[in-house]
Amino acid sequence: MGNNKMSEPQKAQGHQGATGLGVDQQKKQGVMPVLQYVWRLFWRDKPGLLGLIMVLILVFCAVGAPWITAYDPVKPNLRDAKKPPVWMENGIKGHLLGTDNLGRDLFTRIIYGSRVSLTVGFLGVLMACSAGMAIGMAAGYFGGRIDALIMGLVNMILALPYLVFVVFIAAILGRSLLNVILIFGLTDIPIFVRIARGEVLRMREAGFIESAQSVGASTFRILSTHVLPNLIGPLITLATFEMSAMIFYEAGLGFLGLSVPPNVPSWGNMLAVGRQYLTIYPWFATFPGLAIVFAGIGMNLLGDWLRDALDPRLRRMKR
Amino acid sequence: MQRYFISRVIQSLLVLAGVLMMVFFMMHLTGDPAGLMASRNASPEEIARLRDQMGLNRPMTIQFFEFAIDVLSGDFGNSTRYHQPAMDLILERLPATVELASISLFISMIIGIPLGLLGGSNPNSMVDYLARGAGLFGQTVPNFWLALILILVFGLHLGWFPTFGRETWRFMGLTLPTRSVFLPACSLSLFTLGQLARFTRSAVMEVRSEDYILTARSKGLSVRRIYIQHILRNASIPLISIVGVQFGYLLSGSIYIETIFSWPGLGNLLADAIGNRDFALVQGIAFFSSFVVVILNLLTDMAYATADPRVRYGE
Amino acid sequence: MKQKIRLFVILCTVIFSLAWSAAGVLAASDGKVLRLALTMDPNALEPAMADERNAAIVSWCLYDSLVAIDDDSRVIPALAESWTINPEGTVFTFKLRKGVTFHNGEPFNADDVLFTWNRGKRENIKYKDRFNLVKNVEKLDEYTVRMSTENSSPLLLRFMAEHWAMLPAKLMKKTGEDKFLAAPVGTGPFKFVKWSKGDRIEFEANKNYWKKGFPKAEKVIFRPIPESSTRVAAIQAGEVDLVTRLSAEEVAGLKGDANVRVVSYPVDRVYYIAFNNMTSGKGLPTEDPRVRQAMNYAVDVQSMLDALFNGKGRPSTGFVTPGNLGFDKAIKPFGYNPAKAKALLKEAGYPDGFKIGFACPSGAYTNFQQVCEAIQGYWAEMGIIAELQVMESGKYWDLEAKKELPPLFGDSWSETIGEAMSRLQGALGGNSAAYSTWWDEKIGAMLDQIKGTVDEEKRAELYITLQHYMQENPPFVYLYEPVTYEVVSSRVTDYKPRASEQYYLFETHIK
Repeated sequence: MGNNKMSEPQKAQGHQGATGLGVDQQKKQGVMPVLQYVWRLFWRDKPGLLGLIMVLILVFCAVGAPWITAYDPVKPNLRDAKKPPVWMENGIKGHLLGTDNLGRDLFTRIIYGSRVSLTVGFLGVLMACSAGMAIGMAAGYFGGRIDALIMGLVNMILALPYLVFVVFIAAILGRSLLNVILIFGLTDIPIFVRIARGEVLRMREAGFIESAQSVGASTFRILSTHVLPNLIGPLITLATFEMSAMIFYEAGLGFLGLSVPPNVPSWGNMLAVGRQYLTIYPWFATFPGLAIVFAGIGMNLLGDWLRDALDPRLRRMKR
Repeated sequence: MQRYFISRVIQSLLVLAGVLMMVFFMMHLTGDPAGLMASRNASPEEIARLRDQMGLNRPMTIQFFEFAIDVLSGDFGNSTRYHQPAMDLILERLPATVELASISLFISMIIGIPLGLLGGSNPNSMVDYLARGAGLFGQTVPNFWLALILILVFGLHLGWFPTFGRETWRFMGLTLPTRSVFLPACSLSLFTLGQLARFTRSAVMEVRSEDYILTARSKGLSVRRIYIQHILRNASIPLISIVGVQFGYLLSGSIYIETIFSWPGLGNLLADAIGNRDFALVQGIAFFSSFVVVILNLLTDMAYATADPRVRYGE
Repeated sequence: MKQKIRLFVILCTVIFSLAWSAAGVLAASDGKVLRLALTMDPNALEPAMADERNAAIVSWCLYDSLVAIDDDSRVIPALAESWTINPEGTVFTFKLRKGVTFHNGEPFNADDVLFTWNRGKRENIKYKDRFNLVKNVEKLDEYTVRMSTENSSPLLLRFMAEHWAMLPAKLMKKTGEDKFLAAPVGTGPFKFVKWSKGDRIEFEANKNYWKKGFPKAEKVIFRPIPESSTRVAAIQAGEVDLVTRLSAEEVAGLKGDANVRVVSYPVDRVYYIAFNNMTSGKGLPTEDPRVRQAMNYAVDVQSMLDALFNGKGRPSTGFVTPGNLGFDKAIKPFGYNPAKAKALLKEAGYPDGFKIGFACPSGAYTNFQQVCEAIQGYWAEMGIIAELQVMESGKYWDLEAKKELPPLFGDSWSETIGEAMSRLQGALGGNSAAYSTWWDEKIGAMLDQIKGTVDEEKRAELYITLQHYMQENPPFVYLYEPVTYEVVSSRVTDYKPRASEQYYLFETHIK
């Protein structure tokens, strides 16, 4: 986000992008061949496969947290506070990665932390993506004044120093999970708008839209059956990157004490607490830090793969 | 050409007007600065009087226009904590931030761009994995976390660098950086370095697959020549814009790094202002950094348009 | 091309090595320089404007007041050699010290006192109420001033020591406020050298200081370091000589280090849960003193201190702390007594407890949210269901000042003048104090009586009576007074911090 916005040439130019697995193509091939095709793509690109596995692990942790670990992530257990990981001296059995300053199992908190991170990432992206898609489609489809107005606003928001504004809004709204989701969800809309609009414009140039209009299809129908399916590819790719970015920025807000409330086990909060203990209990900050890196790498690898797989231009080049 | 420039300038001005409005109304969501300014033993009447004095009882629109006029004349209002013009405080901190940002940009460019070039021209080689790894690393490792570790290792245990603060060196009338900038600049450059490596890599790959390169290759031009004449030049055009954007980011995004290293720049001031709920100052910094970013974007766009005439038609 | 690259590399190396060695020269400090870490850049170098401890500490290096407070919390002469107070405590006559000069050479006299008072009353001064207390200042002669107050004001001297920094009238009239604050001048032990914002503040010893033989240090450099883990690294690396405001955990790693010394002392700050009988708490069970006592007995403060603060901290006995005037050693903290709490609740008619709103600020105090959650748990055992609402601290204090918080809320109150009056008045003043949510006529009357009593002995007795009353009719659940941790380089001697977290540097020096 923020600076990701211009990170890749495709994104920077916006108008190119991807139709790769065009929907019409998929329909003809049926489901099984597509799955096989996807699998072959993954198999060919090992980092992408790794990314997929990492993301699946994350999702598994988030969904299955209560079954993976028996401890409570929030309730203090001061008797066992500040124990090191199990392989270190004084580590105690049952606490794989040790315990934090209030005696809560670190492994448990990291597992539950994936819930917070994925919730923030997923809901934030869902909000930004759906709003951005609708707005971007409208801008691209109707053009004219609507387009000018929307793009004016989008460019304005994109021109802002992202972090300064996130921090500013977070400081005003105060700490809660909902606020964090709202902040990321709202501030991230413009970039989705840009991509969606670019795609629509590209299709218009290619003459898809005019031909549909000439057959007498309604606006709704054109948008939902012709435009939307072709947007899915590039938007999913972008969403993956943005999710990773949101997880990254949640940690940043946590560091400033502006993320979710302190008792919520989020990776950012754990890092923020852990840094006070960096010299004596280094594992407090190390493991949540690694968790953030893990999630980020997984999502980025998957995103890279998605982009390559969904963009024929780049695919051609790879061969 | 001229028309494009003029329309870009007008667009930038509109953006700034919008930013001004946003900053103002967001600031007024924050509640009442009067309560914060009074001492803890204040009586309710005193707080009410203060509110009156600060003009907080007047209609919002009037307050906004006054604010806008003040900003146009270079007055961002007074910091509630320092009782000084916000602009003075910002300008005072600017050199430190510029120093840190430019050195970070320098570090990320001299490492990131070659890495991306090498990686992009040898896909799936070791260098390529290194370049991709650097890209991933930069985007996923929280830089404040890295900063703390750098302080512990290089500041405390090895003692090679100071653990905090900015030392400058006066030489022939110039204020020059010293090694104190190294650790913060390294931590700050991480993200940009990754971005540049990734970006350069994919730009090179893209250019490589263009037809004219394939033609040049088939004509038997030496690889070196192709690189210098075609790939580098073409990849460098979008690079200009990325560097511009990243510099804007480095100027405004150093809030964590400056706080951790106690670097006396804008980011540090912003963290301090947020901590003390000095929203007049926060407002000033937010507007100021947007201003810088918008101007930088404008300049890079113009450089971009001068270098690559296609852009003008694209808009 | 290759040559250019080579030239570039060489140039870079040269610049880099020059910069490296330059930094080395700068970092080397000679023996007499005290380097202190602050937690925040001061907002202004003038004690009447200083908005928190860092600013006050730095400011007081430059100035003196008419009186000072010594390490035992007694009022001692400073720029006033002696003073007399009329029996009603409304007229104060000061004999000023002769031969004192400001750093710019300007002699100090009665005009400066008058000027300081007039300026202090201005609207933009944070502590103007501490100047407005004085209704009139008269210059009797060059070295005698008489001040009069409307009501008897025994605390005036302490307020003076805290906020009345004597300013050079002639200079300030010439330069104006802003220029003065950019390069302030006082009579204090140190002279202003430079302040680069956010980076460092440098002072040098005032060789003509009126207290002969002081200050001991030749130079003082303050460096703001907001991040506490960086402060720890900085003192370990020997880059500063004193760091403050650390947690028990942060100093734990430094215990074996021979180059530093860990200092810890209790802070004059009381944490409490406030009751409300003025707005949101009207008509609730907490208006019954037995319920309030029960809620005090129900909370195990010592266990919370053990668990969350490594056992460091003192369970509070009221709003008067051990360093304050009139502290009564005989009063014991309520202590954890669930049986008694149950009995009291039954007696008051709430054997099964009740439901009530409860708020707590986040992000303002160490572990305070955990404390509130623990308290919620203790009360739940009595059947009192407190619905805890955690709020971001800025908004919280906004609401607190408007008396709009739920009927129970947690907060803390510090005191810097060695007497608990401002804390008591601020939290119990009823409608005359923004942050007060409790009004008890008896307490109000007692506070008025104390404010009107000049004699310190008598005032101490009145404080004791008040403490006993506030034990039987507690307007708060008293929690604890925390301990703060500081780390001092072993080069530093005679460093004496006070419970107000204030320290004065004229005795401190480098071994």
